[in-house]
Amino acid sequence: MNADSLHWKVAGRAGEGIDVTGSMFGKLCLRQGMNVFAYREYPSLIRGGHNTHQVHASFHPLTCQQRQIDLMVALNEEGISLHVDELGEGSVVFCEATQDKIDLSKYAATGAIFYDVPMTQISREETGHFLAQNVVSLGASAWILGLDIETLKNVVTDQFQEKGDKVVEMNHRALFRGYDFAKANCQPIKPTFEKRPNTQILLTGNQAVAIGAVSAGLQYFSAYPMTPTSEVLHTVAALQDKFPLVVKHAEDEISAVNQAIGASYAGVRAMTASATGGYALMVEATSLAAIMETPLVICVGQRPGPATGLPTWTCQSDLQFILHAGHGEIPKIVFTPASVQEHFELTRLAFELAEKYHLIVFVLSDKFALESYASMPTPAEMYQNERYSFVTEPLPADDSYRRFEVTEAGYSPRSIPGQAHGLSVTNSYEHDEFGYATESAELTKTMNAKRQRKLIAVAADLPEPVVVGPAEAKVTLVSWGSTRLVLEEVIRRMPAGEVNAIHIPCAWPFPQARFAELAGVAQKLIMVEANVTGQMAQLIRQETGIQMDHHIRRFDGRPFYAEEILAELERMNG
Amino acid sequence: MEPNYTPQSPNPDPSRQAQPGGGLESSRHATMSKESLESPYFPTWCPGCGNFGVWTAFKNALIELAIPEEEVVIVYGVGCSGNMADFNRVYGFHALHGRAIPSAVAMKMANHRLKVIVVAGDGDTYGEGLNHFISAMRGNHDITLLIHDNQVYGLTTGQTAPTTEKGTKTKSTPAGAPEMPINPLGLALTADASFIARGFAGNIGHLTYMIKQAILHEGISLVDMFQPCFTFNKHNTYHYFKERVYDLQQAGHDMQNKEEAWRKSREHDKLPIGIFYQDPHSIPFHASLSQLQPGPLVHQSIANVELGKVLPSFR
Repeated sequence: MNADSLHWKVAGRAGEGIDVTGSMFGKLCLRQGMNVFAYREYPSLIRGGHNTHQVHASFHPLTCQQRQIDLMVALNEEGISLHVDELGEGSVVFCEATQDKIDLSKYAATGAIFYDVPMTQISREETGHFLAQNVVSLGASAWILGLDIETLKNVVTDQFQEKGDKVVEMNHRALFRGYDFAKANCQPIKPTFEKRPNTQILLTGNQAVAIGAVSAGLQYFSAYPMTPTSEVLHTVAALQDKFPLVVKHAEDEISAVNQAIGASYAGVRAMTASATGGYALMVEATSLAAIMETPLVICVGQRPGPATGLPTWTCQSDLQFILHAGHGEIPKIVFTPASVQEHFELTRLAFELAEKYHLIVFVLSDKFALESYASMPTPAEMYQNERYSFVTEPLPADDSYRRFEVTEAGYSPRSIPGQAHGLSVTNSYEHDEFGYATESAELTKTMNAKRQRKLIAVAADLPEPVVVGPAEAKVTLVSWGSTRLVLEEVIRRMPAGEVNAIHIPCAWPFPQARFAELAGVAQKLIMVEANVTGQMAQLIRQETGIQMDHHIRRFDGRPFYAEEILAELERMNG
Repeated sequence: MEPNYTPQSPNPDPSRQAQPGGGLESSRHATMSKESLESPYFPTWCPGCGNFGVWTAFKNALIELAIPEEEVVIVYGVGCSGNMADFNRVYGFHALHGRAIPSAVAMKMANHRLKVIVVAGDGDTYGEGLNHFISAMRGNHDITLLIHDNQVYGLTTGQTAPTTEKGTKTKSTPAGAPEMPINPLGLALTADASFIARGFAGNIGHLTYMIKQAILHEGISLVDMFQPCFTFNKHNTYHYFKERVYDLQQAGHDMQNKEEAWRKSREHDKLPIGIFYQDPHSIPFHASLSQLQPGPLVHQSIANVELGKVLPSFR
C-alpha cells in the first residue's frame, strides 16, 4: 500500500447523496493541499441505481483513478459485492453489516478488513434522518486515513450553510460521532497527512469548460440538456447574475445551435454544448456557421452509441463523426483536451480562434473527462480579452464594404447589425463578397477556396502534439483526449525510459509535421483509444501515412485503467 | 467621411482591424427609404406571385416606421419567400430552412436595440420549424414573424404544405392531402402569443398596416399572410381570397378577447384578416433579463473578466 496517496470510494444507491459525499471528500483532500482526481459512475436513473464516487489524492502528481481501493464506504451490500475486484490486502471497508444483514464471510477472500459502522443509526440519533450517514462515513474516513477533521468540518459547514445553522450543527455532530467511532474501533491505515497550503481548485471537465468560456467572455450560451454536458449548462446558468451573460435552455438542440449562431452573428461570443447524440442534431447548422463565416464554439461530450447507447458512460467513438460532420466542405478546428486545465485553456483559445478566423471550434471531450473531478492550479483572478476581426469604424460611407471580401487569409473583417454602412447579407446560400446569393461557377470556386484558406492561417495558433514522459522510450503510446490522463499514470508506474506517450490536443487540422517528427523517433508506436474502429489511428494514417505497430482499444463504456494498460503492454512483450 | 479601410486592397491580416475594448458600439445612420432598400437584384418570383404584394407592403412598412437602416435585421427562411434576402439591402440573415426563428430570438437577446423580423414561409414555420414557432411564442420574444401562407410548397415545385386543405391533390399527395390543415393563428393563441394578425398580399394597404403594428408591438408578433402561389396552387387564388376576406377591425372585433379570436381563427367560409389578438400588457422576453438592464449584451464589455468571483466555489 502506498503511504503517500489514498484511494477512497463511496458506493450506494442513487438518491443517497453519493455525489455530494464524494465531492466533500475531494474538497477535504484539496484543502489539505493534495492533488485530487475523482471518478464517478452511475446508471441513467435518478433513484435506485448503483452510484459510486471515488477519490484518488496525493501530494504527488496524479491524473486518474486506480483499481485498488484503500477505503471503501459501502452504503449497501452492492457497495461490496460489485467491487470485490477492487479490494485487496490492506483495503478497508466501512459497511453496515448488522443493519444490512451482510454475511461478511462471503468476502473474506478479498483480504480486506471490514468494519461494521452504524452510520445510519448515528445519523438518526444526531439528525433524525438517515441521510447524514454519509457525513458519519466521512468522519470515520478522516480518522482511518489520517486526514484533518477540522478541515473536514469546514467543508461540511460550506456544504450545508445554505440550509441554515441548525443543519450545519447537526451535520457537525454526525461528523464527529463518525470520527470518534472510528477512533475507538478502527486502526488508521495511513500515516497522518500533513496540511499544506492549497493553491488549486477542484472541478469537473464540464466546469472547466464553463469557466474557461466565461473567462473568455462568453456572452450567450444556448443548449438542451444531455449527459454528459448538462453540467456546462448548469454551471453557466448559475453565473448569469455575475457576468454579462445570457443562458438559454432551448427547446431542442437544433434551436440551441441556431441560437448560438444568431447571437454570434449579432456580435457576442456564443457557444453551445451537447453530447454527441445531441450534436448529431446540430450538424446542419455546423454547415450554416461555416458558410456564414460566423464564429461558433461547440463543446461535444462523447458517450457510447449508437443512438441513446449508454447515456452515463464513456468512450472516444465520435472523432471521425466530428471530423466529417456538416454537409459541404467545412473548415473547422477540433480540440481534444485531456486534463481539466487543458479543458479550461483550450476552451478559452476556442473563443479567440473562432472569433479571429470566423471558424467553428469544437472542444471534443468525453464523459470520463467531463464528469470526473480533478485539481488544477487556480486560474487568474482577471482575464483580458481582445476582440478580433471586426471592421474598423467608420465604414466607407459609399456602402462599398464587402463582408465576404476575398482575402489571402480567408477571413474578412465582419460588421455586425447596428453598425452604419455595414449592411450585408449573411447567407446560407453560396454568395458573392456582399453576401448576395450566387450560382456563379467562378464565385463558388473562389468562396470555397477562401473558406478553406482559414485553416492555413490558423495553423500557427494551434496546440501541437506533445511528448508525455521521457523524450525517448522503448515504447511510445499515442493518445488523444482524456486517454492521456491514464497514460500519464502508466508512465509513472513503468521504469524510466520504458514508455512515453504522444498526446494530440488538436485533432483537426491534423498537425502532420509535428506528429511525424515525434513518431519518427519512436521505436514502437501503440495507439490507445476508446473506440472499436481505431479512429485516431485511421486519421494518423490518412494524414501522415504512419501505421501504428499495435493498438489498445476499449469500447465497453468504461474508462481505461493504468493497471489494464500495463498488463496489456506486458502481454505484448511476452 | 473618409473611409480608413479600402475594400479593394487585399488584407493579409484582417484580425488587426479589431476594435479596442470588449464592447461593440456604433454610430447611427440614415433611415430606410425606397432607394436605400434597393439591392442590385430584382426578384426572381413568378409573375403574379403573392410575394410581390408582401414585398411592397413590407418595404412600405419599414419606410413609414423610419427605423435607422442599420437597426433592422431580417432573418429569412428558405423558400420562395426567403429569396427576398437578395432583393433587400438590409442586414439580412438567410437562415436554414425551418430555423430562422431560433437565430432571430438569439439576435434579439444579443442586441435588443435591433428590430428583428423573420420572413419565412408556411412550410418553413408551421412544418419544419414548428417547435421553434411554439417556443418563441411561449417566450414572448420581441421578434416579428411575417409568414407567407400560400398553402403549397413553391420552391420545391408544388408539394403539400402544413396549411394545405385536406384532400388537395399535390405532387407529394396525388390521392389528396391526408391531414387537416394547421391553424397557425389558433396555435399561436394556444401558445400565448401576444400579437396575432393576418393579412392578404392582395390588400397592400391593409397588410402594410398589419406589418407596422406587428413591428411596433413589444413581444412576439405573428402576421400570417395569404399569399397566392400563381404557379402551384390553382385553388387558393387572388380571386378565391378576394371573395372571402373581410376586415376584422371593420367588423368590430375585440382584439383583447382571446376566445373570440379563437372562434375567428376557425372561420372557413369567410376569411377574417386583421388583428385577431393583442395583449396590451405584453412584456417581451429580453425585458425580463436583469443582465440586460445595463444595455444590449453586445455593448457590454468583456475586455476584463473577473473570474475570481467564481473561484471560491471550487475550493
